[in-house]
Amino acid sequence: MRPTLELENVSRHFGGVPAVDGLSLSVPAGQITGLIGPNGAGKTTVVNLITGLLHLTSGRVLLDGNDVSRAEAPELARAGVARTFQNIRLLPDASVLDNVLSGFHRHERVGLWANLLGLPSARIETAHLKEEAMQLVERFGMTNLAKHRAGGLSYGHQRRIEVMRALAMKPRLILLDEPVAGMNDAEAESLSSIFRSVAAEGVALLLIEHNMRFVMSLCSHLYVVAAGRLIAQGDPQKVSSDPIVVQAYLGS
Amino acid sequence: MQQILNGIVVGSVYGLFSLGFTLLFGVNHIMNMAHGSVFMWGAFAGLYATSILELPIAVALIVGMVAGGLISVALDFFAFRPLRRRGAPEFSAIVSSIGADLILLALAQKVSNTAVMRFPFDAFPVVVLSIFGLRIQLLQMVIVALVVIMVFGLVFYLYRTSFGLQIRSVAYSEQTSRLLGINPGPINMQVFFISGALAGMAGVLIGLVFNSVHFAMGEPLLMRAFVIIILGGLGSIPGALIAGLVIGLVQTLSVAYISSGVSEAIVFLTLFVVIVFRPTGLFGQSTAAMRIQRT
Amino acid sequence: MMNFFYTYQSLFDHILVNALLAMSQYVVLRAGVFSLGSAGFAALGAYCTAILITAQAWPPVAAIAAGTVLGTTASALLALPLARLRGVFQAVATLAFVQIVLSATQNWESLTHGALGINGIPHVAGTATLLGVVVVVVLLLVTMGRFGLGRAMDVIREDEMVAVSLGISVPYIQRFAFILSGALAGMAGGLHATSSYAITPNDYGFGLLVAALAMVVLGGRTSVWGALVGAVVLISLPELFRVFADYRNVVQGILLMTVIIYLPRGVADTLISMLRDRRLRHEVVPEKP
Repeated sequence: MRPTLELENVSRHFGGVPAVDGLSLSVPAGQITGLIGPNGAGKTTVVNLITGLLHLTSGRVLLDGNDVSRAEAPELARAGVARTFQNIRLLPDASVLDNVLSGFHRHERVGLWANLLGLPSARIETAHLKEEAMQLVERFGMTNLAKHRAGGLSYGHQRRIEVMRALAMKPRLILLDEPVAGMNDAEAESLSSIFRSVAAEGVALLLIEHNMRFVMSLCSHLYVVAAGRLIAQGDPQKVSSDPIVVQAYLGS
Repeated sequence: MQQILNGIVVGSVYGLFSLGFTLLFGVNHIMNMAHGSVFMWGAFAGLYATSILELPIAVALIVGMVAGGLISVALDFFAFRPLRRRGAPEFSAIVSSIGADLILLALAQKVSNTAVMRFPFDAFPVVVLSIFGLRIQLLQMVIVALVVIMVFGLVFYLYRTSFGLQIRSVAYSEQTSRLLGINPGPINMQVFFISGALAGMAGVLIGLVFNSVHFAMGEPLLMRAFVIIILGGLGSIPGALIAGLVIGLVQTLSVAYISSGVSEAIVFLTLFVVIVFRPTGLFGQSTAAMRIQRT
Repeated sequence: MMNFFYTYQSLFDHILVNALLAMSQYVVLRAGVFSLGSAGFAALGAYCTAILITAQAWPPVAAIAAGTVLGTTASALLALPLARLRGVFQAVATLAFVQIVLSATQNWESLTHGALGINGIPHVAGTATLLGVVVVVVLLLVTMGRFGLGRAMDVIREDEMVAVSLGISVPYIQRFAFILSGALAGMAGGLHATSSYAITPNDYGFGLLVAALAMVVLGGRTSVWGALVGAVVLISLPELFRVFADYRNVVQGILLMTVIIYLPRGVADTLISMLRDRRLRHEVVPEKP
């Protein structure tokens, strides 16, 4: 079966500077793939390229075999590409539930007018989506906080909300940009079991992280980038002991 | 031909006013909606200096500049600084400056009793020269000369002095400048003062050219400044000047040959068309703030 | 008691018409569209209505409807170019629009009688009518906020990048908000004309633009109640404090600055938020993070 996501020789230049240079990788469904590298290696740029927030300078991005290199961000989102943000981007004044609810947008079928006038179809759909959102909140163990203002919660909670929102999209591909930064081990562990179960449902996950231990325990395949280039890939054990990788991390 | 000359004179003052406006945008990324009132208060100050204090016009000009600069700095302190500290969105800055504008306008209205005032007759010697068959007033020549001097002065300041370098650095990136040890506080103050001084000077000059000073004189000018800085490109100095001349010409010519009412409409239609089709203007650079789309 | 009512009736009417305008402004700001054009659409609606009634002897209701349609059409036309702009640029473009309309009403004397304005407009829109319209619009907007449309608008307003990443079609929704705002403003204009006997170009100039913005800033732009509270406060303040009548603009300016700096979400929205938080605190003991 074709991998869910494939990058073929993707490059992105800013001015003359290559932020990403000739990167190729593939993210299969049902597995957690890792993308690691020192700071400034271009990892978030890769995410922005995949999700359509940045133009590609060259190369191709394929989603389930379809060329989406020119697709705009909302199209990609509607096609089932979800992401979390490195600097948390939630709606701080909205409740946890409302934040999660916003992720269900791509599944809304009711038209604009029905929503405007509050027709029964809109009411039913909204009620249904709220239920699903609540289920998600419960799955993440934040039932008590559902109605709380998202901006006032702890960092760890906010990261979980971001993940919930991404999951609400019921995506086929999730790009997780440093999802456990700032979390303690217990929190990170509970999140990783959720990621495993999501992958088991057939979703493709691309995990961008610094936390090596977290990455090692979760990922079945690793890509290592430095200065925008791929410097190593493969099995996590093999990669972590690769001298080139060690050099890149220590040297940065 | 005569009208073209008039247009150039008016246009150069517009350029001066817009220069201050575009400087503010370039450095702080804000549209100071109260800039028109700074202009107006500069004119008021100049008028006060000549008519009540009976100071010579050259001194009055300086008074106008200083008044403009100080009011502008006060504006920064009360209307913009608290928002900058908080990292508030640009919406807030614009609203805040609208509020400040209302206050300045209302105070001016009170102080002047809504009257249209004039500079005293003998404020500036009325000397008319005849060159190539055109009637040129001494005043007009002095104005253009002043504008040229000011522009050179500003460019020199920005590009040849260390202060200017700091200003340009903050304009490029406040974050980076901070990291380099540049304190944005005094830089902002300088920028506001300069921009206000230019506006104040423009106020006195326009007050002399059109022979009228009243509390609402700033609003139409602010509107023209919008057209000018967008046409010329946000944050671009040559852009502000060239566009200033263009608009000055367009206005003078259309007032002379069509009618004053229609000339207003033409100016705003220009603004609308430019914003929609070429928001970068002639010399500006596209900023991400303008459109959220793939870059 | 009835005397009290009659004395303040015209103030009440004034509040109601302004509330409509405030709601027009609220709709765009809620969706993250920085439009200041409501005053312009109101001008179009008002003049259309007034001209049709006085010069063409149209029945008032039809004239008001026509005014609303004109406002809607104008905003539909403007929505296309405007959708490509952001923030400050939308503000300036819509500001230019208001000025263009003002210029037109001041100078197109054959149609609008220029600066003299139009007189003798029958007082068709009484308090009951205005109240009815306002109630219906409030219901509509409250409903709008409760389902998918309101949700999408909130995301767009708070963080457009997130909206785009969730698949929300930002231009579509912003266009809709803009057109809805144009319709409401056009209607407000038509109703204003038929409740004021006479209109002049300056009724719909910079002053009205600022007032519309001020009402929503004051009250809050994330809920309809914000627009209502803002309208009530802004319009009645000068009446309640006659002393300040002269300094009305100063007060408005100070209010605008203070609110945006210290209470950026507006009075009503901040209150609603505080009440919600207080209720939550009493309800549950939050789990240990």
